Amino acid sequence: MPKWRDEWTAYILMLPAIIYVIVLAFVPAISAVYGSFETARGQLTTYNYNFVISTFGISPITNTFIVTASALTLQFTIAFLAASLLSKPFRGRGIYSAIFLIPFGVATIVTGVIFHDIFSTFGGYANTLLRSFGIHPIDWTGSYWTSLLIMILADSWKNTPIVTLVLLSGMVTIPTDLYSQAMVDGAGPISRFFYITLPNMVSFIAIALMIRGISEFNIFALALLLFPHSLLTTMTYALWDTVNAFPADAGATILLGFVLIFAAMVMFMRSRYGKANMYGK
Amino acid sequence: MVNEYKGPRSKYYFYIGGTVFAFIVLIPLYILVIIAFGAPSQTLGAYYPMLLPTKFTLENLHNAFTGYGLVLLSAFYKSLETAFIVASLAVLLGFHAAYGLNKMPYKYSNMILALLFFSTMIPSLTIAIPISTIFIKIGLYDSALGLALAQELVVLPLTVFLITGAFEAIPRTLEYQARVDGATFSQALYKVIFPLALPGIVSAFLLSWLMSWDEFTFAVILSPVHPTLPILIYLQSTARGDILTGTVFSLLVTIPVIILTVILSKFIRGSYLSSGLTG
Repeated sequence: MPKWRDEWTAYILMLPAIIYVIVLAFVPAISAVYGSFETARGQLTTYNYNFVISTFGISPITNTFIVTASALTLQFTIAFLAASLLSKPFRGRGIYSAIFLIPFGVATIVTGVIFHDIFSTFGGYANTLLRSFGIHPIDWTGSYWTSLLIMILADSWKNTPIVTLVLLSGMVTIPTDLYSQAMVDGAGPISRFFYITLPNMVSFIAIALMIRGISEFNIFALALLLFPHSLLTTMTYALWDTVNAFPADAGATILLGFVLIFAAMVMFMRSRYGKANMYGK
Repeated sequence: MVNEYKGPRSKYYFYIGGTVFAFIVLIPLYILVIIAFGAPSQTLGAYYPMLLPTKFTLENLHNAFTGYGLVLLSAFYKSLETAFIVASLAVLLGFHAAYGLNKMPYKYSNMILALLFFSTMIPSLTIAIPISTIFIKIGLYDSALGLALAQELVVLPLTVFLITGAFEAIPRTLEYQARVDGATFSQALYKVIFPLALPGIVSAFLLSWLMSWDEFTFAVILSPVHPTLPILIYLQSTARGDILTGTVFSLLVTIPVIILTVILSKFIRGSYLSSGLTG
């Protein structure tokens, strides 16, 4: 019998968290996948998927892709600007970064309510602003693209801080000498961005893409308030029924499938392009 | 040497850029405040609401409290209870998990971190649906404890990353010295390591509390009958169509989180959010 070692106690202390995650995340996920191929009588079938597709069509899938792509584009553009601002030393930077972080703490549903108030057709602040510039007011909630825009704006307001934080933590690892040398060689701000900043930040971009991309696929509370068209999440919620959970399981499985495919693609991008990265982790 | 960061002219640009960003961040919160405190005839009641209202009133708050006093109070209590369970459990599980991970060879600890990170990829909705059927069977449906157990999944990986980060700053020799001096394993863990990791643990507690306070997806599925505050806001603004009261409730939910976010702004760093994938 070997002598009991402190490390072993430490490993045992770790077990509750691991068991917790397995029991409450992985087991339910597997049971959702399994349930999606099941009926109330316990037969294996693809009926649930046929039912979901025939009821909702494929628009939940295309809508989810449109939302994800446009939200990520907007958030990364703003986050790069904000992060490059915050990576420079100037007096008052602490105050600015504290203010920039505030939306991170604001509840998603509160963000939805505020943007609903701003963009409502009757009594909306956006239309007040348009009118003060002499522009004709817009029926914001009336069309597909304007309601998409409102939801993306709300989502980006709330979530750009996270992207900014991750990109900022990557940006500060790039040695400033690289920029000085590039400037001596005559590189302008745009080529410095594409030849120094971007290649050195691949793994941080991948992390931010992973965190935000998965959340965009899962955009839910905002969609319930602001987007009257089906997404994978709102479709699954509409299918949800505690008595007959099988169709909802099918929706949940489709959602899970797309999230995992997306995550695999980001991982691939990171391993493919991350090698050019000399200074990052 | 060329240095673009030191010219007085570019400093101006920082302040202009920073102020523009700050403005964008603060405008929606400003709108929230003027709707909550402005006279409805100048805010939601107007066809073109005023950006600078002139009449202010406490009536909106008063109406929300008197009209929905009990509902509001029970939602407030439920949110509070759930958030405290989530945060306490996160620290309890997260502290011990991080301690074990810190002792483990890098190769294995990385695998466990990857497992934790992988769990955050599973959509809440995917998990919530099977959990709702199980919770109905075992009587946890609609309870604060059940909701907290589900929301824990959202915060636990982040908590572990945060506390692991705090451990890395503690020299290992301290613990060995305590053991040599005769401290038991648990004394070394709770009386030497725990106090040193306290800043990380406190920020993990507050962050988990905040995330539970704001959480929507699990709450709407697992606790629809006795809702938490975010669900109450949702029901108020959509099902009951009373967007003014919904906005007033929103302000109440937002006040504590803004205070917490400002306190936490020193601790929330991109490197913690990303530690599951780097290295």
